[in-house]
Amino acid sequence: MDISREGSFELPALVDPDAALVARSPLSLFWRRLRRDRVALAALGFIVALLVVAIAAPLVVKVVGAPPPDQQSTAALDQFGSPTGPSGAHLFGVDQLGRDVFSRVIYGARVSLEVAFVSTGIAVVVGTAMGMAAGFYRGWVDTILSRLMDVLLAFPILLLGIGLASACALGNGCLGGLIKPGLTTVIFVIALATWPYIARIIRGQVLSLRERDFIEAARSLGASNGRIMARHILPNLVAPIIVYTTLIVPTNILFEAALSFLGVGVQPPQASWGQMIADATSIFDTAWWYMVFPGVALVLTVLAFNLVGDGLQDALNPRKDAT
Amino acid sequence: MTTRLRGAVASTASVVACASILAACGSSSQNGSAGGNAETKPVAGQKKGGALKVQSAEGFAHLDPGSSYFQLDYEVVYAVHRPLYSFKPEDPANPVPDLAAAAPQVSADDKTVTVKIRSGVRYSPPVDREVTSADVKYAIERGFNPNVANGYAPSYFGAIEGADKAKGGPISGIQTPDDTTIVFKLTKPFAATMAGALTLPLSAPVPKDYIESKKLDEKSPSGYDSDPTKQAFTGPYVIAKYAAGKSLSLARNSNWDPKTDYRPAYLDAVTWTVGADPNVAGRQILTGTHQVNGDTPAAPIVKLGATKRKDQISFTPLGNRYVSLNTKLAPFDDVNVRKAAIAATDRVAMQLTRGGPIAGQIATHFLAPGAPGFEEAGGAKGPGADFLANPRGDMKVAAKYLKLAGHASGKFSGPPITMIGDNADPAAKAAQVTLQNLKNLGFKVKFRSVSHETVHTKYCDVPAQKVQVCADVGWLPDFPDGYAWLYPTFNGAAIQPENNVNWSQFNDPKVNAAMDRAQAETQPAARAKAWGEVDRMITEQAAAIPFLWDNVPNIQSKDVQGVIARWNAAYDLSFTSLK
Amino acid sequence: MARYIARRVAWMVVLLLVVSAVTFLIFYSLPSADPATLRAGRTASPQLVQQIREHLGLDRPIYTQYWLYMKQVVLHFDFGFSYQNSAPVRQQIVDRLPATLSLTAGAVVIWLAVGLPVGILSALRRRRLSDRLAMGASLVAISAPVYWLGLISLYLFASDIGRFPVFPGAGSYRPLTDDPGKWLGSLVLPWLVLAASFAAFYARLLRANLLETMGEDYIRTARAKGLPERQVVLNHGVRAAITPVVTVLGLDIGILLGGAILTERVFNIPGIGRLAYDAIQHSDLPVIQGTVLFGAFFIVFANLVVDVVYAFLDPRVRYA
Repeated sequence: MDISREGSFELPALVDPDAALVARSPLSLFWRRLRRDRVALAALGFIVALLVVAIAAPLVVKVVGAPPPDQQSTAALDQFGSPTGPSGAHLFGVDQLGRDVFSRVIYGARVSLEVAFVSTGIAVVVGTAMGMAAGFYRGWVDTILSRLMDVLLAFPILLLGIGLASACALGNGCLGGLIKPGLTTVIFVIALATWPYIARIIRGQVLSLRERDFIEAARSLGASNGRIMARHILPNLVAPIIVYTTLIVPTNILFEAALSFLGVGVQPPQASWGQMIADATSIFDTAWWYMVFPGVALVLTVLAFNLVGDGLQDALNPRKDAT
Repeated sequence: MTTRLRGAVASTASVVACASILAACGSSSQNGSAGGNAETKPVAGQKKGGALKVQSAEGFAHLDPGSSYFQLDYEVVYAVHRPLYSFKPEDPANPVPDLAAAAPQVSADDKTVTVKIRSGVRYSPPVDREVTSADVKYAIERGFNPNVANGYAPSYFGAIEGADKAKGGPISGIQTPDDTTIVFKLTKPFAATMAGALTLPLSAPVPKDYIESKKLDEKSPSGYDSDPTKQAFTGPYVIAKYAAGKSLSLARNSNWDPKTDYRPAYLDAVTWTVGADPNVAGRQILTGTHQVNGDTPAAPIVKLGATKRKDQISFTPLGNRYVSLNTKLAPFDDVNVRKAAIAATDRVAMQLTRGGPIAGQIATHFLAPGAPGFEEAGGAKGPGADFLANPRGDMKVAAKYLKLAGHASGKFSGPPITMIGDNADPAAKAAQVTLQNLKNLGFKVKFRSVSHETVHTKYCDVPAQKVQVCADVGWLPDFPDGYAWLYPTFNGAAIQPENNVNWSQFNDPKVNAAMDRAQAETQPAARAKAWGEVDRMITEQAAAIPFLWDNVPNIQSKDVQGVIARWNAAYDLSFTSLK
Repeated sequence: MARYIARRVAWMVVLLLVVSAVTFLIFYSLPSADPATLRAGRTASPQLVQQIREHLGLDRPIYTQYWLYMKQVVLHFDFGFSYQNSAPVRQQIVDRLPATLSLTAGAVVIWLAVGLPVGILSALRRRRLSDRLAMGASLVAISAPVYWLGLISLYLFASDIGRFPVFPGAGSYRPLTDDPGKWLGSLVLPWLVLAASFAAFYARLLRANLLETMGEDYIRTARAKGLPERQVVLNHGVRAAITPVVTVLGLDIGILLGGAILTERVFNIPGIGRLAYDAIQHSDLPVIQGTVLFGAFFIVFANLVVDVVYAFLDPRVRYA
């Protein structure tokens, strides 16, 4: 499911195995092509800057002179407890507890990026492993794994996510305390929902790769299955994996935001963009700043990742646009 | 006995005490805040006819009079059913006979209650027949049927002979010598208290023949609850249509005879929409026509009403709110640590999470203004303890008590504590303020923010979970008496393994004994004084952090002559009319 | 073909069984609230809670509970009763279906009406300014979460709180059968907001497919025959490029019919998604189970329809 649209989620079948094979060293070629795409480069620059801001959040907040993200202040509320808007003391205004929205947006970047990167990383590793196993061994391994993916893909995933997240928010969490409440739960839920998509694509790639001559050649030379997968198949998957990762990161940022928006994401007082937007829904007609700023941060971040993903796609598959 | 849910929104509502100090109940201006001034008492010359539209965010939980217990449900149930006694909207202190013909007769030994019921009260179609005392007997008996699942039957009617083993069948201690008389025989002297509970909807008549012919009570949940349009109504209205979680409509009961009832029932019909967005609905009510709110309006709407549309908003006091501190577990088993936690609490910030002064007075003890014993417990100023002196909190006092508790630095230095809070506003905000207050004091807090149902059914109401702090709990008593206010919430004997509402698990032998003495008082003034003293002791023992005595806001369209049932702090549909 | 369909239907049933079992396992073994207490009411005595636990069979092993639940579902199409308000779950889902159907249908019409022409035009004017603008805008639309877009649209255009009060805002939904005019008005904003990112996605998808198709030999042949470019594109290109779009459309409709939780929540539309969300908020297990099964049914069914239609359209698909 594509959370951004509430619709189906199809990764584009963009990767032409031939294209990947043509380039003996796809990564350097990749980079050379990407460098020509100014928009993608600018977006990449934005992402790097965002990373720096997220990592140096305390410093950024201090330099700007904003209070820390969890500092409550009744002075910034009116007599009805309503928050006040942007001012010299609070650039982006405050929330209903008088906390500074600017510093919460900055700290929110940490959550968004951490969740998106870690969950995507897990999903990519699991998905690649499963996809390779299914595509390479075929037979019953493929049957079992494919059916498993079918089941996961049959769930209304947002509902499953909310359910798991709220169940895992209890006590010591799920799976005997392995999945702790809060960020860990969110990461687990997102990874669980995402890996089948990657596995399906990788499986398709491997199915076509394994019929190639060079695999035949390696096999006739007596290479073991493990060696063939590690030495001959995996390297050919690197480029597509990079592209898919870039495509999935923004989706997962939105997934985390959606879960937080629905109230099952991060645990308070931690700030997350989705949670801030959710918090703002009851007062957004008067406290527009509380809705607008986290939302803009979210859209810009997702857009940047999408632009980079677009650029990578083009770089990987130059034929597509050159027809 | 009742517990407060999210806001007063889904609150299990009940009878609010306004006993001795009627002046304090009469108007909201007692709080000295920018309140509303909508006239919400019955007035002369109210117009008959028309349809009222009610909007609420939450849906109904139980409309079966046998299991109904929430504020929202009561708004409908008391318009379509007639319990033995009920409250006129402006007087929450003195029940009046409803289905009953006169006040209950309590025997000298306090072990028998005799009630005469009115003749001429008939059920709505298709039952049509006249109500008899046997119907009241059956109504209470089915309260013990697990399919009906009444929560309070054992507490208030469990003393009836034979009720201890009842599971829905006949109870020998409820006798009906004739069609208009019902007699309750008790195993212990509890008759006066039980008579008070006859205002609860469980005493509204239910026709046994009808229930049995339709087999309504034979499965869980009862068909009387899952499809309330099938009920046999005795009030001025019937539930004509019901779509759970969406809408409900009331129409006139063709068999209702106004000569038998004190309700004027001006409206011809009520349509109720559930699931409204509180902000949107609030605006529609204020700017539209023929509308009132069903549950608590959103904070921005209250602000709008209190600043720009004062003649369309009113505030009704209801219940208290506090933060519970588990007195059974370290560190809050130490009274000094509890006092420090109270002293560190910024109650002004807590009040602001609910809308500031218009949301209610900052509490200094537990009995709310208007409750019998409120003045005796210290009134608005409170008992005068130093840890409750400054509403903004006083870190010096907190440090003093922490030092007394052995934390030499004046900051708490023990192991982390567990705190549970609601994840929906405004309780979620109060939890975060509490979290901040505790952290300021040096506590390391393991905080879980979960849904309201989880807060209670999984954590706060289950002592075995060993939760140290429940961030926002509250209480509305079932009837206007100190017993109903303080016994369930602070008596050691009231602690139970599930559905526990003595959230602090407070069990102080001296306080328990004082409660026993207060309960035995029969003179109202002495009784109020005794309960006030109990409240003072609980407060001085720092059993919990009191922070608010609620004011419930209600809003209406300009053309609505709204009448608030003060005991329920919500509109009384049988008295409200259109202008 | 018949055997293929039969097999797919059988697999669909298995899938639904597994989904229901997993849901049961998650929500019943890891409930976020105690079901017996919920049903009994928060004030019930521990004895009553215990009685209800027995009555509801909650003290029995989970597989027995699952068996009893499925028996009711299969034999009587009975999904049980809500813990929150005692109402039958099936009735509540049926009550909510029209709103979800209305939301989905209107949004589909809008996103196809916008997305497809934009996709085709962009492909035809590849790399020109209009293409770049359209694709840039579509990327923004895809990047904006639907609930935020919803709030912004309400802030700007809702008739009650908007700066430019044009359309009815949140909570204005009326059933079509009550008042067709109000129904239409109340759904304009939700339709536009929900359709925005879909339109963008479909435009990009169609454009990419079309560009790929245009490189195929038979298109070159058509061009070589001297057919006008417009005719080549519309008659040959689009016909081939639209198939994947139809596939995605089927899946999207399937998912949306299970409830557009975020959109329904922001606009307060009483649909299936809103019901499911409220049920999870209140730990109302029977309703959660019912809505998850319902959503899964549409997803699986949409997959089935898409595959079967695909098999009809494309003879190369083997029925193996």
